Amino acid sequence: MSEMKKIKNLKEFSTSADRFEGANLLCPGCAHSIIVREVLNATNDDLVLAASTGCLEVCTAVYPYTSWDASWIHIGFENGSTAVAGAETMYKALKTKGRLKQPDRTPKFVAFGGDGASYDIGFQWISGCMERNHDMMYVVLDNEVYANTGGQRSSSTPIGSSATTTPAGSISYGEKINKKDMMGIMGAHHIPYAAQVAPNKWKDMVKKIQKGFATEGAVFINAVSPCTTEWKFDPKDTMHIADLATDTLVFPLYEIIDGRQYNITYRPKNVVPVEEYLAAQGRFKHLFKDQYKYLIKEWQERVDENWAYLQRREEAKV
Amino acid sequence: MENKGWDEFEIGAMLRTFDGSVDNIAGTKQEDRSYSENSSYRASVADWRLIKPVFNKDYCIDCQFCWVYCPDVSIVSRDKKMVGIDMDHCKGCGVCVEVCPTNPKSLLMFGEHADEETEIAQWPSKDEEK
Amino acid sequence: MAFDKMKLRDIEVWDGNFAAAQALRQCQVDVVSAYPITPSTAIVEGYAKFKSDNFVEGEFIMVESEHAAMSGCIGAAAAGGRVATATSSQGLALMSETLYQASGMRLPIVLNLVNRALASPLNVNGDHSDMYMVRDSGWIQFDAFNPQEAYDLNFIAFKVSEDHDIRLPAIVNQDGFMTSHTAQGVATMDDDTAFGFVGTYKPMNDMLDFEHPVTHGVQTEEDWHFEHKARQHNDLMTKAGPKIDEVFADFKKLTGRKYSQVETYDMEDADVAVFCLGTSVETAREVAKEMRTRGIKAGVVGLRVIRPFPFAQVQATLKDVKAVAVLDRSSPNGAAGAMFNEVTTAMYSAENSPLISGYIYGLGGRDLTKVHLVDLYNELDTNVKAGKVTTPLQQFIGVRGPKLAYL
Repeated sequence: MSEMKKIKNLKEFSTSADRFEGANLLCPGCAHSIIVREVLNATNDDLVLAASTGCLEVCTAVYPYTSWDASWIHIGFENGSTAVAGAETMYKALKTKGRLKQPDRTPKFVAFGGDGASYDIGFQWISGCMERNHDMMYVVLDNEVYANTGGQRSSSTPIGSSATTTPAGSISYGEKINKKDMMGIMGAHHIPYAAQVAPNKWKDMVKKIQKGFATEGAVFINAVSPCTTEWKFDPKDTMHIADLATDTLVFPLYEIIDGRQYNITYRPKNVVPVEEYLAAQGRFKHLFKDQYKYLIKEWQERVDENWAYLQRREEAKV
Repeated sequence: MENKGWDEFEIGAMLRTFDGSVDNIAGTKQEDRSYSENSSYRASVADWRLIKPVFNKDYCIDCQFCWVYCPDVSIVSRDKKMVGIDMDHCKGCGVCVEVCPTNPKSLLMFGEHADEETEIAQWPSKDEEK
Repeated sequence: MAFDKMKLRDIEVWDGNFAAAQALRQCQVDVVSAYPITPSTAIVEGYAKFKSDNFVEGEFIMVESEHAAMSGCIGAAAAGGRVATATSSQGLALMSETLYQASGMRLPIVLNLVNRALASPLNVNGDHSDMYMVRDSGWIQFDAFNPQEAYDLNFIAFKVSEDHDIRLPAIVNQDGFMTSHTAQGVATMDDDTAFGFVGTYKPMNDMLDFEHPVTHGVQTEEDWHFEHKARQHNDLMTKAGPKIDEVFADFKKLTGRKYSQVETYDMEDADVAVFCLGTSVETAREVAKEMRTRGIKAGVVGLRVIRPFPFAQVQATLKDVKAVAVLDRSSPNGAAGAMFNEVTTAMYSAENSPLISGYIYGLGGRDLTKVHLVDLYNELDTNVKAGKVTTPLQQFIGVRGPKLAYL
């Protein structure tokens, strides 16, 4: 195991030499790249990266340009996880066989995918990688929508969100089905480490990513990624929306150790009403019409209930 | 990169980030790296911008919020100090201005064609309400 | 931990699956990423067992689908080592998306494809529907007619595929059950000789070379895509064929066993010929000999290399033949048979073209009997005498019910 990079504070973190480059094609204000930077800058070890088809992939490797300073692979929409698992398996084989070119390195294997690639089309591939416990990290850039194809609902899209395939209209409030509990499902794989993170809580994120890198075996990370284009807010407000996501507890930050031990890692001093989170985004605008206002109340109840559940799980240590 | 013919590039549409061999990229700052013509570091998205951030170092406390939250690796920090903005890679999203905690802010957005020196000379003063 | 070598008899009695598994062991494949499907399963089971018994040093991952199997192979190959897997039929269909990705990224991977029919209706037996389905996927495709060839062609496939001038994945086909589960004598190489033939894997553009980071699997749009596809096609059309010939020659030098892109049997003076693939070649060879005792100069052509299609060799082989039957073991579903089309296209521009007729046979593992082939040779003889094709261009043979013939 390599020595963990020392990151006491933001000043120290800012001495990192990024291994992800600008002039990529992501939207101005996209949270994906903020998350990617925080993940990559959490280590100085060599990296072997993969991405499933999606915003991050189509915006960072459009020939003849690459925005990646470490080896990177994309195969298809569903198999970024398995791409990196294959590379990790080859690393193990070549290590055993004494054929690594730089045997002293301690590379980290990381795959990125959007919620479409992770909650939906690539779900089985991720499940396989986690079950086989490859020494890898899978990071979901969870923007709760198929953003790359223009805003269709995914199984991560929350109730009441207007997506292009579940549009709000005169007789519809948009998405009717609640977001899939991917963290719970990954926890049920009894992988050594799973965590939910948010880019605005950089320290919490870096700590978890470092914990993930130090873990031998499969690591799952779900990162909330506010999407200026599909959530419909001004690009400058990305971090403000992320703050609302964590401080309303819509995206609680926690980790699951070995599928059993839940640890809540962030308890907002002042919990913000969910209504403020919803009001800040165009995708929920219709909920503020009289006929749908009851949904805002239901939203708050769901978030409260989930927070209570997480606390019970944490306390019960089971 | 110029549009090459079918026989003029490496097979498999494979791209190399760097020219030649590199060692310890995580310990090498951008200015010291041998980026190939295929790295997007050597490309520019400056023409995406309608508005641009202007940095006034008089008020900066080097907190590095702008560095960590910049989606485009465009805040240049060296030795824990905010040095400036990489205007080839900045898309003008304005996140850096929003996360800047100083009063007045050390970063503000202006029209793309605004003159930096003029704007710094007219920088707003401390907002007493905050 | 060093692995143990296995002592083999000069001739072992192996079925096609075990022969392929032994070849994977002797090539010391670094990573096998696989998912079971009849009739190919025994190949990867073989590798797994060799690994458990310390006869191979490498990693075996049993993944959760064929799509993931090839995805794992692609990741492993891009990382930089020797990679193989096996599948059949529906498994290949599920994996097919990734076949194009593997070849487009120019990654050497060897896929043992144990040919089996495609549903629906579901069927586990051998035909060539799966082989045909991926013929445009940019993979080199070899065809083994028996277990010996399934063994030999694996070594040849690795050597061609991994060559730095080629870097294209390769499929080794064998007929489901008829080859994969039929034990025959297989002349072996000892472990050192066998490994010596393929040699240690030489990485290229490998992700695990941290001094040279690479980006694999980029996006190209209308400004670049055409050039990359053209490059891949060019390398298949101009580089793969000569390399295959070179490796065939090296293999003959080592083992005495001779392979050609187009295999010919009794073709020197043949008036009529059957052109086919897989185990049918051996059946046709027997019948051709019998036909010669009846005064018909019959021969057989077996296609050893399906991709790149050996256009010129097919032309040279058939130019002096008077009538040829091209056999397709796959339902063309609304067209002439695929192999019929390819052979006809080649001969259309040849100096001389024989009379060409097509036959659809053996779907879902239906036997091709000697009686069928005797009838077929007689039809060809009739065509020769008439100076024209006297039958429809496409006839079904061996199917119950009223005669099916088209075109």
